[in-house]
Amino acid sequence: MLNRRNFIISTAAMPLVLGTRAYAQDTRTLQVFIDGDTNISNWWNDIIKPAFEAANPGYTFNVTITRGVGDGNGTIAQRALAAMQSGTDPQVDYFEEYNPEDLEGSIEAGLWTAVSTDNVPNLSMINPAAIDIPVRLPYRGSQVLIAYDSAKVETAPRTFADIVAWAKANPGRFTYGRPDKGGSGSNFVIRAIHEGNGRDPSLFTRENFAQPQADEMLQKGWDILLDLHPYTFGEGTYPAGNTPALQLLAQGAVDMIPAWSDQAIQAINQGVLPETTKLVQLQDLALCGGFAYSSIPSNATDLDGALKLANFMLTPEMQTSCVREIGGFPGIDWSYLPAELKDEYIDVIPVSIPTFPSGDWQTAKNDGWYRVVATNIVRD
Amino acid sequence: MKARRKKLPVGGIAILLAMSLAMVGPILSVIIWAFAVKWRYPNLLPTEWGLKYWRIMLGRDTVIEPILTSLALTSVATTMAALICWPAAYAFARLQFPGRQLFLFSFIAANAVPKFALFVSIAVVFLNLNLVGTFWGVVVVQMLSAVLFMIWIPTAAFRSIPPALEEAGFDLGASHLRVFVMITLPQALPALAASYVLAFVSILFEVDSALLIGAPQITTMPLLLLSLSAQVIVQEAAVLCVMIWVPCFALLLLTRRFMSSKGIAQGFGA
Amino acid sequence: MTSDANPAGRSGAVRTMHLKENLAGLALVAAPLGLLLVLILLPTVSMVWNTFQVPVEGGTVTGIARYQAFFADSYSVANLRYTLIWTLISCVTALAISLGISLYLRFSEGRIATMIHALSLFPLFVPAIIISYALVRFLGPNGLLQLLLEQVGITGYRTPYLTPIGPFIGFVWENIPLPVLVITAGLSQVSDHAIEAARDLGAGAWRILFEILLPQVHRSLLIAFALIFLGVIGAYTVPYLLGPPAPEMMGVFMQRTLGNLQRPDEAQVQAVILMVLSSIVGGFYIATMLRGEVGRK
Repeated sequence: MLNRRNFIISTAAMPLVLGTRAYAQDTRTLQVFIDGDTNISNWWNDIIKPAFEAANPGYTFNVTITRGVGDGNGTIAQRALAAMQSGTDPQVDYFEEYNPEDLEGSIEAGLWTAVSTDNVPNLSMINPAAIDIPVRLPYRGSQVLIAYDSAKVETAPRTFADIVAWAKANPGRFTYGRPDKGGSGSNFVIRAIHEGNGRDPSLFTRENFAQPQADEMLQKGWDILLDLHPYTFGEGTYPAGNTPALQLLAQGAVDMIPAWSDQAIQAINQGVLPETTKLVQLQDLALCGGFAYSSIPSNATDLDGALKLANFMLTPEMQTSCVREIGGFPGIDWSYLPAELKDEYIDVIPVSIPTFPSGDWQTAKNDGWYRVVATNIVRD
Repeated sequence: MKARRKKLPVGGIAILLAMSLAMVGPILSVIIWAFAVKWRYPNLLPTEWGLKYWRIMLGRDTVIEPILTSLALTSVATTMAALICWPAAYAFARLQFPGRQLFLFSFIAANAVPKFALFVSIAVVFLNLNLVGTFWGVVVVQMLSAVLFMIWIPTAAFRSIPPALEEAGFDLGASHLRVFVMITLPQALPALAASYVLAFVSILFEVDSALLIGAPQITTMPLLLLSLSAQVIVQEAAVLCVMIWVPCFALLLLTRRFMSSKGIAQGFGA
Repeated sequence: MTSDANPAGRSGAVRTMHLKENLAGLALVAAPLGLLLVLILLPTVSMVWNTFQVPVEGGTVTGIARYQAFFADSYSVANLRYTLIWTLISCVTALAISLGISLYLRFSEGRIATMIHALSLFPLFVPAIIISYALVRFLGPNGLLQLLLEQVGITGYRTPYLTPIGPFIGFVWENIPLPVLVITAGLSQVSDHAIEAARDLGAGAWRILFEILLPQVHRSLLIAFALIFLGVIGAYTVPYLLGPPAPEMMGVFMQRTLGNLQRPDEAQVQAVILMVLSSIVGGFYIATMLRGEVGRK
């Protein structure tokens, strides 16, 4: 991390510099690919686009939604890799959310632009907790909460043990999504792993994954989830993603699920979830959240433009918008945002969210869950 | 079967009712959702009806354009596939040439390959030809999903035409082309029409390669549909489904006659 | 196949004709074959080759270690077994239902038959994703079917959603149209005379079915079976949205191995195994078709 003060200065100068330089050019259109839900794509189209055009004359962007089709942004990332290998135009500038680690060998092949304060000056303001590998840019976060129907659930769960106790007292009325199909289920599984390991997220880091110990640590989580397994909806038939889980709640088929804060809030506002739906965070250790990482291919059609967009997304204005419009967690440090924003949202958005490392831990967690919990294999 | 000569087709009505429940039931729930504003358990029907979501969907030009794109793409791709596949099918049925059986098998084997495993190599070809993000790129890649129906059905259909008919034509001194147009083609026409319809539908709903090759410039209707399906709001996807089914049902009624013809049985080699 | 009948080694004119026919045949199949070759066959060959390359220290050797690893892993094998079993169950069920519908259509006319025919073709126009979501709405917990049953006083409905029955229903639903088309057409070639004759000899409906109709359409049935099998075995959307988390259908398992676990080499092995299974059924389809060709000569 570099000195923050220097970059406040350079950030302040940015719009001016960009503005004058781009003025003389024709309008250039950046191709942005979004894999997320409608709340994200609407936010990009309705709010970010006009703001970006105003701040960067001569630039605009076009949003392509890839969700639901095959591997979504992964398909386009594969195409970008193929384009790099054949030296052709990938027709992509910016992935709103894509983890370069999900395309094996792509980082080593140099497909991704390493971001730093040199090419994205506003990175100086980033929340230090969000930085991990240079080829991805954390720009928004969200957290997983417990959503429940207060008409059916009398007392809100305050600890992980409360959820287990409630689920056992009300068989079939709790469920969570498959961990590889969406963050809400994934972070619930992570919370169970934390529960089994003394509720200490710091035990899990990107670097410390090592096979025999890792299996033991994960097994402590599997034991908890296996104990819960027979009491979940359909005795262990987990819905395939965030939305299918929310729909079970909306249909009244279950009364309690883990859910992304932003998706759940939106669903309540739209009347999809009943008015009696309430959201609560666990008090003993919060459910993990995660940052959404944007990534920029190094062979982007308009790399300069893509970096401008990345920098623009980290401006305090856009980060404020992220909090206000989609109930997201900012990618930059709260200290750069208006003070009143923090006061206003402090109840909904925590100052920090625990995270779980990506990479080996994630794949071991997902595959282990399928092999042990979903198949209901009790070891020993 | 027993109901054959009875006045009241009890069996038929029973089958019809069972099929209506099984086929129309799930579809009906989608149609109801398209017109529902609020529908929550345990209400049998929506508590609030309305066209709210129709207005939202029709108000977006991002909805109409993909529908038109899809219709144009599918028509062109199916027609081009017919132009290259039907002559090939005729060759498979009527001509001897080296590798004939191997080639015919390869058309079926190709269908067995999971396509996502080949994405990178397919993308390389289109990138090098500068076809990524273009209408024609999508046309070419989608022709692949038509090959199955466009080769199988016509091959067997051509084969089932008695060669004696054609020979009679040659004996009268007619040219190859003339025999083909006057004798072979009319015989095979119902099967060809059926293969066209089946190929049309499979291209219309193809998504994976449409995204791989079409994005970001070309958005097809099923891509839009998929992006709407994975949402918490059910109604938008439901509205789009109903919008698509109306023309589909018209197509079904129009082509039902071909579909029930003998041609298709011959087409599948029966 | 008139030209097949020419024994080799006739006059020069015949040989020239043969050459012309060879060239014409190749020219006619060149375009679709070229498309297939470039986009599917060549990449497939390179993928298959890749699965036999086993990394060792300082390079790779050709071997079957990747396949041994697949078959040594009980979880993968369970997925393969589950895929095969449910594919077969779905095929047989869809085939039986289609046969029933086709038999009815063979012996009926009129508005009801027309409506049944149209209904049986309707799933052609409903993509997998839509029928999956529609089935969740219809069969799912507190869905339309449960509501209807509760209206008539039936409670205790257990939803098939997220159990192996869920994708099974989806597969059967999707796979009615093509078999109905193929079998109906096959049945239409059975002459009324044969049936009348049998009836006059006092044969009952079952005897007519088993001794006259089924032998005549067994090829149609085999072909319909192959068509359903090829569509179901690699399915992704239906089992992913409607089925249980484990065991997984191979299509879902492959996608997860590639996309989530980032193990493209393992995903390729799974893809090749699936491809071999499909090719066996595809080859058997061709054999059935070619047998018919021999029979016609």
